[in-house]
Amino acid sequence: MTHKQMRIIDHPVLGAMNERDIMTFTFDGHTYKGFKGDTIASALLANGIRQLRVHEERGTPRGIYCNIGHCFECRTTVNGVSGVRACLTPLKDGMVVTSGQTEPVPLNSEHDVDELPRTYTEFIQKQKAHEAGDSDA
Amino acid sequence: MDKMIICRCEEVTLGDIKDTAEQYDATAREIKLRTRAGMGYCGGRTCRPAVDKVLEDITGEKPGDQIPLKVQPPVRPVTLATLGGRTNDT
Amino acid sequence: MHDVIIIGAGPAGLSAAIKCREWDLNVVVIDEFPQPGGRLLGQLHQEPNGEWWNGIKETDALLQQATDLNTDIRCGVSAHHIEKTNNGYIIHTNEGILESQKLLIATGAAESAAPVPGWTLPGVMSIGAAQVMTNVHRVRVGQKGIIVGVNVLSAAIARELQLAGIDLHSMMLPIKSSVTAEHAHPKKVMDGLVRIAHLAPSAFLRFGSTFAKMNWIRHLAVQFYPRGGVKMWGMPIHVRKAVKEIHGTEHVEAVTVCRVTPDGEEIQGTEERVDVDFVCIAGGLYPLTELAAVAGCPFQYVESLGGHVPVHNDRMETPLDGLYVAGNITGIESAKVARAQGEVAGLSIAKSVMDAVELIEHGIDNAIANVLETRKAASIQFHPDIHEGRAKVAEAFVEHTQTQ
Repeated sequence: MTHKQMRIIDHPVLGAMNERDIMTFTFDGHTYKGFKGDTIASALLANGIRQLRVHEERGTPRGIYCNIGHCFECRTTVNGVSGVRACLTPLKDGMVVTSGQTEPVPLNSEHDVDELPRTYTEFIQKQKAHEAGDSDA
Repeated sequence: MDKMIICRCEEVTLGDIKDTAEQYDATAREIKLRTRAGMGYCGGRTCRPAVDKVLEDITGEKPGDQIPLKVQPPVRPVTLATLGGRTNDT
Repeated sequence: MHDVIIIGAGPAGLSAAIKCREWDLNVVVIDEFPQPGGRLLGQLHQEPNGEWWNGIKETDALLQQATDLNTDIRCGVSAHHIEKTNNGYIIHTNEGILESQKLLIATGAAESAAPVPGWTLPGVMSIGAAQVMTNVHRVRVGQKGIIVGVNVLSAAIARELQLAGIDLHSMMLPIKSSVTAEHAHPKKVMDGLVRIAHLAPSAFLRFGSTFAKMNWIRHLAVQFYPRGGVKMWGMPIHVRKAVKEIHGTEHVEAVTVCRVTPDGEEIQGTEERVDVDFVCIAGGLYPLTELAAVAGCPFQYVESLGGHVPVHNDRMETPLDGLYVAGNITGIESAKVARAQGEVAGLSIAKSVMDAVELIEHGIDNAIANVLETRKAASIQFHPDIHEGRAKVAEAFVEHTQTQ
C-alpha cells in the first residue's frame, strides 16, 4: 500500500482531512514524512511500517497493539530516551526514532529454577558435587 | 494451543501457566508470581482479564471483590529520575 | 493545592470539569493521550433515528464549554501513583506531583484480550486501536482484515472501518480456549448479538431480536446459523466460525479459520486459510481501576459492569473521603452515560467544596435523574443486567459507609 492509500483523505461522515503541516523524522536511520497531529505510531503506519520493536528477550517482532498507551508494545527510543510509547507521542519535526533490540538476559537461567542453590551451604554442596563429578569424568 | 502467548510482555504461554499450576498446586497469586504473567512492562493491563480467566479455569477460584493480584504503584513504568522528582524526562 | 484534580479527559472527566468550573473551583484535568476526548474521540455510529453520533464533534462541544470556562486541561500527563493524605490527595505524574483536596478518577476502560495463537505479530491489534487509528489519526490499519470477537463494540467499530474504505473479510469468533471461553461460545455470543440487532439492517438479526427473550429461539438461530454468515452492511458475521491461528513472519499475512459447533468446539477438517494483512481482536472492555486501587478504594466484582469496579453511590462518591469516580471506571456503558455521570460527579464535588449547598443539591438530583434516563435510552447497551449491577454497587456503598 502506498503512503497515499494509507491515509484516509476523504471520509463520508467525518469529511475531508484538513490540511496539516508536513514533518520529517527518521526511524532506524531512514527518513520519513508525517503530518502535524500524528503520533509517532500513526506516522509510521502511514508509511507502511508495522514492526516497531522486537521482544527484548525472544526477539519476536512487535507493533502497535492498543494504540492508547495501555499495552506499551509500541515503545521506541525517541531522541535517545528509551521506553517511549509511539502511540502517545506527538510527532515532531526532526525526531530521531529507533526501534528496540534484543537485549542480553544475564539473570535468566537455562536450568530449571529448582536446581539452583537456595542457600550458600547448598551452593557449596552443589559446587563440591559438581567438582567430584568433573574429576570422575 | 498451549503455545499461545497469554502475557505479551513476559511471553508467558497458556502451557507455562497450566504447567506451573499443576506442578506447584498453586493459587492464582502464586502462579502469577512464579510465571510473571501479568507482571511485565504494561503492569498486566493487557492480559489481566485473560490471566484471571485461565487461573479461574485451572484453580476453580471465582473472582472475589478483591482484585486478584494487588495493584502496586507505580501503575505505569517510570524512570528512576521521575521517581526521584525530576520532571519532563520524556 | 488545587480544589480538584480530574484524571481522564474523556466524556466523564470533561463534563465533571465543566460543572466544577461553573462553580469556579480550581480544577486541573490530566490525561496521558496527546489530545482530550478519551475514547469518545474515535466514536462514530448511526443512531436508530438515523443521526450520526460523531465523537469528534461531541468532544469539540465539551472542549468549547471547558475552554469558555478557562479550564486547565493538561495532555500527555500520565499518573502512576496516588497517595491519600489527611486533607486530600497527592497525584504522582511524569510531570511531577499534583496536590488537591478532591480527586475524580475518570480513567475509563481498557480492552480485554481474546487471544488466539499468533496474536503478538505486528498487524494484530485491539479493535479500539483500529478505531483510533482510523477516525482520530486518519490512517488505514491495512488493506484487508478480519475481526476476531463478535460483540457490541466490534460490530460498531467494524462499521467505522468500512466507512473509512477498509476492506473487511468478516467478523468471527476466537478459537475456544480457557481464555476466550465466552467469546468463543456461539450461543453466548448470539445473546449479545441480538442486543445490537436494531443497529443492523439485517432481517435475520431482527428476527433474533424480536424473539430475543425466548432462549430456544436463540438456540435455534445458532443451530441453523447460515454457513455464509449473516451480513451486516455487506460484511459476513459468523458465530459458527472461529479464527484458529494468525500467520506471518514479520507481520500478519493470513489466518486459519474453521467451523465450530453450537458449543464452540472445532469441527475437524473445516480449516481454511484467509489472506489478510491485519487482524482486530475484540474481547470487550473492563473498567480501568488501577489508580483507584492504589488510592485504597474498596472494590466490588460485578460481571454486568465489566469486572471490578470501585464502590460508589449515585452521587459518584466512593467510601474514601474526597475520592470520586465517573464514567467507564464505574462500569461499561455508553459515552452518553459517562458524560451524564461526569456532571453528577462535578456537582457533588462542587457541593462539598462550596457553601451554596441548597442550590447545588437541586442540580445533583437533576443530574442523577439524567443519568438514569440516559441509561434507559441508550441505543448501545453493553450488558442486559446493567441495572442489577448498579444496584449491587449501591448496596455495597451503603455497607462500606455503615461499617466505617
